[in-house]
Amino acid sequence: MTGNDDVDLDRVWLGIATEVWRRRPGRAERVAGRLLRSPGLARVLFTTPSLLMPWLIATIVVLGAGVAATRSSGQPLVALLAPGLAAAAIAYAYGPGIDPAWELSCSMAVSDRMVLLVRALAVFAVNAVLGLLASAVSGAVAAVAVGWLMPMAALCALALAVATVARSAIAGATAGLAVWAITVLSVRVASGQVTAVVTRGVLVLPYLTVAACCALVAVHATRIPKGTSR
Amino acid sequence: MNVDIADLTRRFGRNQAVAGVTLQAGPGVFGLLGPNGAGKTSLLRMMATVIPPSSGTMRLLDRDPGSYDSRREIRRRLGYLPQSLGYYPGFTVAEFVEYFALLKDMPPGRVPKAVAGAIERVDLGAKARAKLRTLSGGMLRRVGIAQAIVNGPELLLLDEPTAGLDPEQRVQFRALLRDLGKQATVVVSTHLVEDVGAACTEVALMDAGRIVFRGTPAELAAKGTDQDTGDAPLERGYTAALAQARALTRTQ
Repeated sequence: MTGNDDVDLDRVWLGIATEVWRRRPGRAERVAGRLLRSPGLARVLFTTPSLLMPWLIATIVVLGAGVAATRSSGQPLVALLAPGLAAAAIAYAYGPGIDPAWELSCSMAVSDRMVLLVRALAVFAVNAVLGLLASAVSGAVAAVAVGWLMPMAALCALALAVATVARSAIAGATAGLAVWAITVLSVRVASGQVTAVVTRGVLVLPYLTVAACCALVAVHATRIPKGTSR
Repeated sequence: MNVDIADLTRRFGRNQAVAGVTLQAGPGVFGLLGPNGAGKTSLLRMMATVIPPSSGTMRLLDRDPGSYDSRREIRRRLGYLPQSLGYYPGFTVAEFVEYFALLKDMPPGRVPKAVAGAIERVDLGAKARAKLRTLSGGMLRRVGIAQAIVNGPELLLLDEPTAGLDPEQRVQFRALLRDLGKQATVVVSTHLVEDVGAACTEVALMDAGRIVFRGTPAELAAKGTDQDTGDAPLERGYTAALAQARALTRTQ
């Protein structure tokens, strides 16, 4: 055996370990990484608790039950369920309440706000698509089938604001669901129609106002620290 | 200087956790000693850019963490192990380390090799594909250290890194610290003086939010006398320096 035949076993092992332990991202994650121009952001997106398969299956099951109830009773239950489901999902998308490694995440180069934005948009989009599909299958009229998108936006912003300020996903989800239940019941008492909460044009401005105010609160709650003061 | 801090303070409501710390540190292993509540963790969290200071100036890796772009660049070159490391129980060791490598904005092509290297350096190769929920406290601490060093940081901040490690692991870890300190600035917060004596080139002692002693471990040990409390010279130096600082505070 000469010196030239010596093999650096540590280096060989590191090469083997690199290959064996390497995680191979799925196609969707690779595409997201390219679109977002950040594999880190894509990884964060694909670990969002409310975008994981068990959560999505639960959402589909609840919406499916809503479709069945809507078709049998004629009441637009999908339109009432979808905003509440989305609000709960948003509350569980981001923040110290759901991230056990939050302290560590706060010291990372990928910005918290980008994580918040990407996760919130993705959760909103997924829930909107599932809700629209459920509405279409349930045979709801067009005004009802898309009318819930506006209250959904307001509720999602509310749940996100409460979850980030209170640093608790449960608080965010509870606030979203409670406010939605109160709104549905109040509008029903006032108008006599359960669909009025998603079809009345007069409610659009309040929904938009709530969405905008709550979004501002969430942005303020996740503001970038000022750093050194002199 | 990788760390250049002047008159730094941090308040939490009425409580002043850090009260005017001035500190410079270049490459090497810098020990931060002090009793519980001395302000070590708050100082480390500010250096990790997790919380902003209330007042004072801080430059890390020749950059001001107050501006967005500089902070991002600092974070790319930073390694941080918090006192309480939260973890995702469903992740494997390799997945956890890879997750934070990606969040540190490492080039994706470099990540797999860096992950394997970091896991090997903390001697967790046999557990690389084990779920975090199956690991002991000491192993989880080593996972935390692996994520902190995965990007080859120029500034490494470790808060109580040896908590939960057994004696053999602590000896290995001190060797790792000495190795890392050859190129990077490693700041280790601990209340275990033997770790400081074995691994640190310089030490600062904090009490009530202030640095009350700064020097080499040998200089700290020299402060102690046989009358001071402690089983080893460094422990006696620690208690003597602390007692002197507190006596001075009382007379002022």
